[in-house]
Amino acid sequence: MAMFNFDRKILLHMDWWLVFSLLMIMGIGTTNLYSASIASGQSFYLKQLLWYLVGLAAAGALMFFDYRNLASLRFLILGAIIIALGLVLVIGKTAGGAQRWIPLGPFHFQPSEFAKLTFVVLLAQHFAKKEETAFGYKGILQPLFLVSVPFLLIFKQPDLGTSGLLLIIVGSIILFAGLKWSVVATLAVGGLSLMPVLWKYMKPYQKKRIEIFLNPELDLKGAGYHVTQSKIAVGSGHIWGNGFMQGTQGQLSFLPESHTDFAFSLWSEEWGLAGCIVLLCLYLVLFSRGLAIASRTKDRLGAFLAFGVTAMIFWQVMINASMVLGIFPVVGIPFPLISYGGSSVVTTLLGIGLLLSVDARRSIVKR
Amino acid sequence: MAKKLNFKLRSGIHDDIPLYKKRADIAGLLMLLAIAILFSRLYFLQVISHEKYKAKAENNRIRSFRVQAARGNIYDRFGRIMAGTKPYYNVCILRQEVQNMETLLARLVPLLGQDEIELRLRLQEASRNQPLYEPIVIERAIEWEKLCVIEAQLHNLPGVVIDVVPGRAYPDENIAPHLLGYLGEITDSQLGLPNYTKAVKGDMVGQSGVEAVLNDSLSGEAGKKVVEVNVVGGMERVMEYVPPKPGNDVYLTIDMELQKAAEDALMDKVGAVVAIEPDTGRILAMASSPKFEPEVFAKRISPEEWKKLNDPVYKPLFNRPLQGAYPPGSTFKTVLALAALQEGISDANTSYFCNGSFPFGSRVFRCWNERGHGQTSLYRSLVESCDVYYYHTGLRLGIDRISKYGRLWGLGEKTGIDLPNENPGIIPSKEWKKARFKDKWHEGETVSVSIGQGYVTMTPLQMAFFYAAVANGGRLFKPNFVEKVASADRLWEKSFKPELLRTIDIAPAKLELVKNALTGVVQDPRGTAHKIRIEGINMAGKTGTAQVVKQAVRKQDEKMAWKYRDHAWFVCYAPAENPQISVSVLIEHGGHGGSAAAPVAKKVVEKWQELQTPLPNIKYERLT
Repeated sequence: MAMFNFDRKILLHMDWWLVFSLLMIMGIGTTNLYSASIASGQSFYLKQLLWYLVGLAAAGALMFFDYRNLASLRFLILGAIIIALGLVLVIGKTAGGAQRWIPLGPFHFQPSEFAKLTFVVLLAQHFAKKEETAFGYKGILQPLFLVSVPFLLIFKQPDLGTSGLLLIIVGSIILFAGLKWSVVATLAVGGLSLMPVLWKYMKPYQKKRIEIFLNPELDLKGAGYHVTQSKIAVGSGHIWGNGFMQGTQGQLSFLPESHTDFAFSLWSEEWGLAGCIVLLCLYLVLFSRGLAIASRTKDRLGAFLAFGVTAMIFWQVMINASMVLGIFPVVGIPFPLISYGGSSVVTTLLGIGLLLSVDARRSIVKR
Repeated sequence: MAKKLNFKLRSGIHDDIPLYKKRADIAGLLMLLAIAILFSRLYFLQVISHEKYKAKAENNRIRSFRVQAARGNIYDRFGRIMAGTKPYYNVCILRQEVQNMETLLARLVPLLGQDEIELRLRLQEASRNQPLYEPIVIERAIEWEKLCVIEAQLHNLPGVVIDVVPGRAYPDENIAPHLLGYLGEITDSQLGLPNYTKAVKGDMVGQSGVEAVLNDSLSGEAGKKVVEVNVVGGMERVMEYVPPKPGNDVYLTIDMELQKAAEDALMDKVGAVVAIEPDTGRILAMASSPKFEPEVFAKRISPEEWKKLNDPVYKPLFNRPLQGAYPPGSTFKTVLALAALQEGISDANTSYFCNGSFPFGSRVFRCWNERGHGQTSLYRSLVESCDVYYYHTGLRLGIDRISKYGRLWGLGEKTGIDLPNENPGIIPSKEWKKARFKDKWHEGETVSVSIGQGYVTMTPLQMAFFYAAVANGGRLFKPNFVEKVASADRLWEKSFKPELLRTIDIAPAKLELVKNALTGVVQDPRGTAHKIRIEGINMAGKTGTAQVVKQAVRKQDEKMAWKYRDHAWFVCYAPAENPQISVSVLIEHGGHGGSAAAPVAKKVVEKWQELQTPLPNIKYERLT
């Protein structure tokens, strides 16, 4: 079986709704970043366009790649991500009390973004091998052990946001793979009682973020500033928004990080509720197509991969939007394809590429 | 077969795919639910709370600045400028632009030469009350030399801005500082007081004199500049500009030339001069000595300066004409002479014998003339200022009648001048003593009061208005020092008319007796102020020498310490036949009224006389 398969059918059977929503989202992302670029005087949108192209090219290549070959590549992938994350700790750039980036010439490579997709692939691979449809504790511990090294490396950066997100993605895939009800119940109780312990080991700035999240007025000038300004930006958007490049919060720089973590806030301010509904509906289309791919593939690995990729994108959208809207603490999770950042864009598009690869082979896979 | 098995191992194909489809459907439903939560949150923020957040966004970007109005000028009655305006340069710190406060202070403190601890305290105090984008004034009205140094260093001092504000300029060096008053930063307790209705924290407002009393009129109305700013406070554009309304100009009744003459005459003395128009109550000159520099209050006052300004002996800030009450000495005899005439106790021919002393009870009261005046009539009692005559008169009148007439002529109560902290002086009575000391009145005290000693005190202002009432036939006016107030463009004006308090009912013949005697004080060769007579004009007046310490411990005046010396008074009006000016002079511890106070009055009257020649046509000119 060849790794790459340039079958014309692959193009013919492409999920056009998925592609349509993807392109629309990238259009919105570019538009929004153009506004953020004008506000800050830096051409983020051009760089982002470049990353879109790189990502699309990679996704296109993945589409023609037989995802089933990932099984043989899994140790290679795991090794690569461990090395990359290890490098971050050694030569990484420090920002905001955490080391996250490896400087690569003019770019900053963020391995923890790629780790998200890596986890999806590793877990899908792990569960695909099994035969059960409902696992016990072993079903949790084995995959956790599998990803423990990269997870700890990210946790140590420290990147609590991404670590948490990774756990949520892992949890989602485990749930999709199936857990016994008794295990679910025990875990729910155990998890709640573990929270105070987790709190104890958090860094002061992490604790502060959560405290400020619970009461942003505690610190209007400091950590609460981000959320407060973001809510002001979103709230001033009203139904139709202030207009493209007309939002005062973003254009006068009251909104911090309007090109990265708070890009959705900028979109809300300038395009209002209507713009937000359009964007989130496009994502709903994307999610539904992702889940549809997971459903219609006859292959267990394909189903896990498709679900994992969808969950990965969904959780990032959910967490970032909640944070921007002030219903979740500020954590460094980008809004996929909307927030500026090459690593995030390429990771997301690689995920989409995997989705397309799974979908292209939904009928090729023989029973 | 083997191939198939191998394949199955690598990527297990199962019949449980429908189960995963079910799980995917559940996941899809949960995702839909989650997105619905985002929608409801968006609806809450963008629709329900929109107004609140819109207002916050506006609040973020829009800032309103006050634009100081130019303060109105103060002119004398002829439109000569007494207090104008000029730009003052304030050194301010704009905290939002400060990169490193410690570095900045380290560089700035030596340039300013200020005390660092004091500066930090001021900064801290202002930081609590003022928003980040509002400059904090750390040095007001900086000297030109210092300004140049700081301007040249500005690129090294991020966060330091030079604010230009309208400040006072005094074209004629330091004239009438007590009357004009000084400007100072508004205090917390002044905020919202009637004279400061438009002032806000940090404003320079009138703290005394005309500046304080007419503060609201002089200050004008601050304008407003509404600007859009970005997150670092940089200005994006001006959205609205309301120009400030300049303050009204004030014209005083003061004649600057006369004022200057009065101040010059008081030079090196501690005392007061009040010159008024007897027919209208307009104040022509009102001087207090020693003077102070009103400009020092516009800056930060050093502890040494502050100590000097609050010297307990010379009290430069004390506005003596109306805040200082002194025993009137012999000038008070006029009150007794008038009372005795009005009560019918004495007439032109009433006389008492003066042998230089007056035994009363266990004490012996003396006349200033130890040899005695002999048989003394009303005329001679005033001209030569016989004490014994008034011991007799005072005892016959009794303290309550002295008190009644003193009050009738406007003494022992405030004149009602529209300036703060006026001293009413004291005209004692039996009732007064009971209330004040819970003691009964002694006749011996009446004897003291009869020659203006004891409890009785008066201000130079009261003295001028009392003698003016004598001069003008019994009309007592309320002191007036504001001629008119006019808007900067002169489209609005308000004039102030003389205000007659009351007319004292006295037979003209009786008043004429007193006036004739008062004229004798200067014009009669035996008069106590004969030395200061002026060629070509008849003056009327009365000298007064008020003891500060008891007679028993007194020595020759010149040999006593300054603070034990007598206060010298002289009150006069001229011309005696048709009074146009009334002058009262007090010299603290000056010695004899005739020799210390009268020459000062003479200089003022001479200046007045000189000014009666037609004035050159002075062109009106607004300085700013």
